[in-house]
Order: sequence, then C-alpha cells, then structure tokens
Amino acid sequence: MPALPLDELQLTERDPKTGKLRTLPALHPEIKADRSFVLYKPPPAIRDPSLVEEFLERAKFIADDLNWLLALPHDKFWCQVIFDESLQKCLDSYLRSAPRKFDVLWDCHPEVQELQKCLHRSVFLTFLRMSTHKESKDHFITPSVFGKIIYNNFLFDIPKILDLCVLFGKGNGLLLQKMIGNIFTQQPSYFSDLDETLPTILQVFNNILHKCGLQCEGASAEPQKLEEKVSVTAGNMPLQELKDIVLYLCDTCTTLWAFLDVFPLACQTFQKHEFCYRLASFYELAIPELESAIKKRHYEDNSVFADLWRRISHSRKKMIEVFHILVNQVCLQPILESSCENIQPFIEEFLQIFTSVLQERRFLRDYDELFPVEDDVSLLQQASSALDETRTAYILQAVESAWEGVDRKKGQAIKAPA
Amino acid sequence: MALPRLTGALRSFSNVTKHEDYSEELADLTTKRSKLHAQLLKSDLTWKKIIKFVDDNLDKKEYQTVNGDLKTILQAAKQIVGAENGQEAIESGAVFLFKTFHGKECVGHDETKVIKQMFGPFPSSSATAACSATSRIASHFTEEQLTALIQLAEEQNGDNRVLFGKNIVFSFDMHDLDHSEELPVNGETDVQKSISLDY
Repeated sequence: MPALPLDELQLTERDPKTGKLRTLPALHPEIKADRSFVLYKPPPAIRDPSLVEEFLERAKFIADDLNWLLALPHDKFWCQVIFDESLQKCLDSYLRSAPRKFDVLWDCHPEVQELQKCLHRSVFLTFLRMSTHKESKDHFITPSVFGKIIYNNFLFDIPKILDLCVLFGKGNGLLLQKMIGNIFTQQPSYFSDLDETLPTILQVFNNILHKCGLQCEGASAEPQKLEEKVSVTAGNMPLQELKDIVLYLCDTCTTLWAFLDVFPLACQTFQKHEFCYRLASFYELAIPELESAIKKRHYEDNSVFADLWRRISHSRKKMIEVFHILVNQVCLQPILESSCENIQPFIEEFLQIFTSVLQERRFLRDYDELFPVEDDVSLLQQASSALDETRTAYILQAVESAWEGVDRKKGQAIKAPA
Repeated sequence: MALPRLTGALRSFSNVTKHEDYSEELADLTTKRSKLHAQLLKSDLTWKKIIKFVDDNLDKKEYQTVNGDLKTILQAAKQIVGAENGQEAIESGAVFLFKTFHGKECVGHDETKVIKQMFGPFPSSSATAACSATSRIASHFTEEQLTALIQLAEEQNGDNRVLFGKNIVFSFDMHDLDHSEELPVNGETDVQKSISLDY
C-alpha cells in the first residue's frame, strides 16, 4: 500500500491522561516534545572568560537540541518545527545574529570557534530539512500543504531567506538554490512578499542617503524651517556614525547580491520597482560622497581607514554585480534563450534600463569597467537585425562620455569576477 | 550592540515577518537548566537500577567494597546537586555522574563542562571523588556489561538515531570582503568637480 503524506496521516495512541486509545492527526501540537530551545547570542567580541563561558553554555544547549531535532523521525520533526515557538525563535535568533565573515573581525577563543562551526552546520541542516517536502519514498508532505505550512507558520520569510543566502550561499550554493527554489515553487506567496519588501529595501538606500545629508528621491516635500538646516554630512559626522553607515551599506549590498546570486528568479520582482535605476542613482550619490568622506578624514589608527576603504570598495563591486545580475536575468538570458520573434520586449527592457541610468556617469563608468556595455550591445546586434541603432549608439556614446577626463587604466578600480 | 543589517531593517519595517517579542526569553538559560533537571529525573536509568546491577553481578565480598564507592558517588551528588533538592534529585544526579565518569580516568575539561551545564558551579573535589569511585566500580565489570547498563539512559535520549543530513557535505566557507588592493585613491572625480572661472 502506498504511504500516505504526513498531512493525511492519523496516529492511534494511548491518551497519557485517560489511558484510553485515541486517534490524532500526525501533525498535532500534543506530539511536540517539551524542549525549550534557548536564543542564540553571537560570540563575545573580546576574550572575557565569563562571556565566553556564557556563549559556550548557550551554544552547547542549541547544538545539542538541534542534533536531537535532526535525529527525530519525520513526523516528530515536523510537529516540533511547527508547534515549538521556542525552536522558531532560536533559529531566527541565529540567522539575525550569527557573525558574517565580512563583519568586524573578532578575536575568538578556539573552543568558541569550534562550537560556532558545529552550530552553523546544524542550523543549515535544520533549514534544509524544513525546506524538503519529500524526505523519502515513505516520508513526505503534500506539496501544496507543505507550502501552506512553511508560509503560515513563518518557518521561512523574506528576511530569513536573505540571511540564509548570505550565511550559507558561498560554500553551499547549489543546495541553497534547491532549497529556496522549492520554497518559492511550493508557495508562490513568497514572490508577493518579496514584492512587498522591495519598498523597504529601497527605503534603506534612502535612509543611508539621508544620514549622509544627501537629498533622496521621495524625500519630504514639506518646507524646512531655516533653523533646521541639515548640517550633518558624511564628511563631518562622527567617525562611529560613518563606520556604522559603511557597515550597513556593506551588509546591505552583500546580502542583496548573495540572494540574487542564489535565486536569480527574484530579479523580475526587483525590476518591477525599477531597481536598476534606483540602484544606479543611489550609487551615483552615495559612493563619491562616502569615498570622499573616508579619504579626507584624519585617522589615529590607519587600519580604520583601510577597513572602511575596503568595505566601500566591496560595496561598490557588489552593487555593480547586482545590477549585472538583474540586466542579465531580465534581458540578456531571455534573449539568448528565446527564438527571434520573442526577443523584442527584452531588447526594449535593456535599452530602457541603460537609457534610465545614462546620467549616472560615475556608476556607468564603474559598471562598464567590470562589464563592458559594448559587449552586451554587440550581443543585441547579433540577436536582432531590427535593433534601433540610434538608441544603442546613444547609449554607447554616453558610456564613452562617462569616461571623458578619466584614465581608463587608472579607473580599473575593481576587477571582474572569475 | 547588534550590527546594522539589511535583514534587521526588513524585520522591523516590513510586514512579511512574524514580529517576535524576545523580552520574555531573558531567563531562557534558567528555564533550560530546570528542564534538563526534569529530564534527568525521567531517565530510564535510575540509581536503584545501578545498585541492582551491582548486586546482581558481584559476589558479596566485592559488593561490600563497591558499596562504599556507591555511597561516595551519592555523597558527591548531594554536594553538587544540593541537599535541598531532595533525595530524588540527588539520586538522578548520582546517575548523571556515573554516566559521565564511566570509562574516564580523571575529571577532564569536557566532564567539567557537562556537569557545570547541568548543575551550575560545583565543588571540584566532589567531582574528583565521584570520578575515582566510578572508575573503581567500573573495574569490576566488562565493557559490554557497562555499555548495556548505560544504554538504558541513551535509548531514551535518542542518541542512537541517525541524524538527518549526516552524509551531506557541508562547507563552512562564507562570503567575505572582496580584495581590492588596486583601488585608486579617488582622484579623478575631484578633477571633474573643479570649476573654471577663466572666461
């Protein structure tokens, strides 16, 4: 007899209170074990013995509990995952606060590092199991029900998915692609959630501009009182504030890039919000201002300058790569894959994206350095004989003019990825 | 202080996440410890079973020697668990010590950690006494006999089950900052910004 999906399975067991036999759905809160998962806290920034000890105790509890969870049979695992709020909070706390490799370097005790590694693996395996609706021939959940379970119980949400990509995407990209692909396939509402999240992502860019004293799109139209004249700029703000902004920018760019790298199908949703244009205009405003502020400041410790410079350069590269992933996914890939009759809308999209960013000269120059626009235009020329040559010539001319007065060799700021 | 993160902003300002209240979790470590104590009391391996095991497997003369060691472990458990927690807690503590120290020659770093995690700070002399006593008791039995006894506790804890993803190759590699030694000091933009007054 074929096995039933977990969501249709009924269990007969003895009621611990009355002693009578009863039938319960296999997914039922009473089956959940009373475990009490603790919250994750990141390793201490310094080797303070009491802080190290607290970290170790907490992390050991979580590692043991996750190993216990991963060893549970399929039905018990899902009961725990769905009905144990402490487990959900524990996993969320890990994603929120687990140190990223690009965070500020901490001097970690070897024992802390070892336990952190164990935890890192167990958390990933837990999310992997949570994103798998078919574990074996006999252990599976109906795909549509699986979609509802993960969505309605917030087992995955957009911030969690972004965190997963930035934490695990480098070494476990293929598995993560399958996991996130399956989540979005079984529950398309995640696309709507992503769509709803985009304005907040754009707001993050606006907030950075605002903190740097730069005018941003959608800024308040209310007249400003004279005495409220904004005087804080990236150049004169306290160093700590500048550091925070650069860290925030670095995290934002890396996280977005890591997500799109793992899940390029999200690009359409990003571009619905004119993300390419918004990103380029943010780049044009923020990068020169922040670079200038970092360079002009006097540092007591030169390593602070080097660190800030490295972060801003990294952020630049990630922004350009995000733009490229978007252009590639939204326009170039469909052109390469489609037959000749269907490519016109994608060519139009390409021309529109580049036309919209032509005024962002610094961005255009940096993008062209890493991903020559001429190569893409040449691809379009090969793909379509009916290409509007006037528009492509206009774009190429604007790219060329963005380089005017700048030595191309000197402008080789960032190397193209392998 | 928490580092500024994109996903932090999304959790705070978007409507796509469950807004969790973490304030009640401040005492989660205390709750966890008491839960572990409760679990210990429910263990299938009890102090009485250990005594019966010794009684069943040793002759009278040997038993008398071992009995002193059993008392030592119980006394150590009393000091580590705290007499105020009652006989049941002390006995389950003694089982825990026996389980922790069987097959160990001395109180190592790992054992200290495990006991501390379960009971909090404890007198090291009690742990040393319990360890020596366990070692002496264990010397009267074969490894198979002891394994069978300890298994009573482990089966309940599910230690023998297969972990999901055991065979998955996991990489610890993480996204890092890109190298950018060749970055220019951004001179070119300054040149462009200069305004000529030479009409």
